[in-house]
Amino acid sequence: MSAATTAAARRPRRTFPAAGGLLLLGVPVLIAVFGPLLAPALTGPEGAPYVLGDGHPLGTDGMGRDVLGLLLRGGRSALGVATGAVLLAYVLGGLLGLVAATTRHRWLEEVLLRPVEVLLPLPSLLVISVVAVWWRGSPLAVALAVSVVNVPAVARLVRAAALSAADSPVAEAMRLQGESRLRITGGYVGRAVLPAAAADAGNRVTTAVFTVAAANFLGLGMEPTAPDWAVTVAGSREGLLVQPLAVCAPAAMLVMFTVGLNLSADAWLRRTGLSGRDAAGPPADSVRKGA
Amino acid sequence: MIRYLLRRLGLAAVQLGVLAVLVFALTSLLPGDAAAVRFNEQAGLGQITELRAQLGLDRPLLERFADWAGGLLTGDLGTSLMSGDPVTGVITGSLGATAVLAGATLVLVLPLSLVLGLAAGLREGTRLDRAVSAVVLVLNGIPDFVLALALVALFGLQLGWLPATWVGTDGTDLLLRPALLVLPVTVLLARTVCLLARQVRAGTVAALHAGYVVQARRLGVPRRTVVLRHALPNAALPGVQELARTGDHLLGGVLIVEAVFAVPGTATVMIDAVRGRDVPVIQSVILLLAAVALALNLAADLLCHRLAPRSEAAR
Repeated sequence: MSAATTAAARRPRRTFPAAGGLLLLGVPVLIAVFGPLLAPALTGPEGAPYVLGDGHPLGTDGMGRDVLGLLLRGGRSALGVATGAVLLAYVLGGLLGLVAATTRHRWLEEVLLRPVEVLLPLPSLLVISVVAVWWRGSPLAVALAVSVVNVPAVARLVRAAALSAADSPVAEAMRLQGESRLRITGGYVGRAVLPAAAADAGNRVTTAVFTVAAANFLGLGMEPTAPDWAVTVAGSREGLLVQPLAVCAPAAMLVMFTVGLNLSADAWLRRTGLSGRDAAGPPADSVRKGA
Repeated sequence: MIRYLLRRLGLAAVQLGVLAVLVFALTSLLPGDAAAVRFNEQAGLGQITELRAQLGLDRPLLERFADWAGGLLTGDLGTSLMSGDPVTGVITGSLGATAVLAGATLVLVLPLSLVLGLAAGLREGTRLDRAVSAVVLVLNGIPDFVLALALVALFGLQLGWLPATWVGTDGTDLLLRPALLVLPVTVLLARTVCLLARQVRAGTVAALHAGYVVQARRLGVPRRTVVLRHALPNAALPGVQELARTGDHLLGGVLIVEAVFAVPGTATVMIDAVRGRDVPVIQSVILLLAAVALALNLAADLLCHRLAPRSEAAR
């Protein structure tokens, strides 16, 4: 850690990436949240396929639908499913990891973590696609699948971070003062885990957005007519040279979101003095105590 | 080392067994099956039941699982519901193109990320470090399919420098036309190299600030020796473990790349199988990939065990 802090101190503080990151992140998030409300007013009438202009600021797609309207309505599923899934993964995995790290019973730790770790080698995109196809692209089913795929890694990460906090002098002192386990776990260990967890969550949301978008792009997610950024990109790609905006606009939304998230997370990590090493999760399981 | 290896192998075998049950459950318990898909909703119930019986889908779940698991152990993966061919044939027939893609990527991924990560990490805080870190950060945020489409549009269609699709090739004349590989492999490399280079950079920075390196420098050991002999193995450690984990990213990348470039490979077979609910193919492929991921993780842990025996790379 000392290495990271001296490095951060030596480096001049850069505010541009942070501001730029938030700006990039803000646009797609605002569109995802408020777009569906504005869509009815701003959506142009259906027109000929792949026209530019003619009352359509962003043109039309292959089915003659207004791209601006698709853009406004397509963010909720593109970003919402992934974000919700990672949140759920953190609720489940975080709980498992915290309990596993702070319990005194070795068997409980095994019972909690072993079954989850079995899931780690599953190919996530395929599993998510299978669930999506069987449930006909239901966003809820996809979100559940994404979160289940993420739970093992989250549980491992939280456990590793919590272990070092639970062994720290602070936790020891609280224990000696007779604080309850619940208070030590929730009040100190849980909070000590937060920075590492937040950094990882940023990464994980990016990956989840990619995975969901990839499934949609491959036609293995939502219906091919659904207003979703990735679905729109996939559906309009044969018109790429005729009407590039139908592909570029939704693709730009996705890229702005993920690049913005990466930049903001990175800037935030620098400010809090966490190195990129922590950001990517505890690298080796070297953090683990006890063989 | 031998005991450690044996224990890990035993664990991996058990894990694979559990995964087999899970994969079977996932694909068997989900609503709708191949018979229902083939006949849509219009078909009479009689037709569906008939096809179900023909495909063996009406037998009890346990019996089907026993059948499948038995087949797995003897190397018989069943027959594809869509084409009626043996699954083994379906998979091996498409393996060539995918193997070339994956092979080219794997050969390039380690040197590239080591060079980038080391270059940035050794010159921490300099302009080079910041440039590499910035590129890595941005590239890391571009989805595979967006990158693939952008490269196709620019180099394939606008400039016409490189072929934009594999349509017309059957994967056998690849070695004669290496230009076909450039764009797909670039897409596959982009995110993986980013992820690994970040890890290697962080590992290098941490290693260079570690007590033993500082002490070695103080004792007058040349910087080059310190870096290559002492810092590098420790810096590579997180990279090696990350490599095993990037397998999942890489697989996602292969699916996208094969779809965008119309590569007649295994990923295309997988996509078709999921779309057509070809359960035997899906089950086998998911399990095979999980086995590969397990093996990769095991190899990474063993390598870490060698590189830094004291770190508890694994339980």
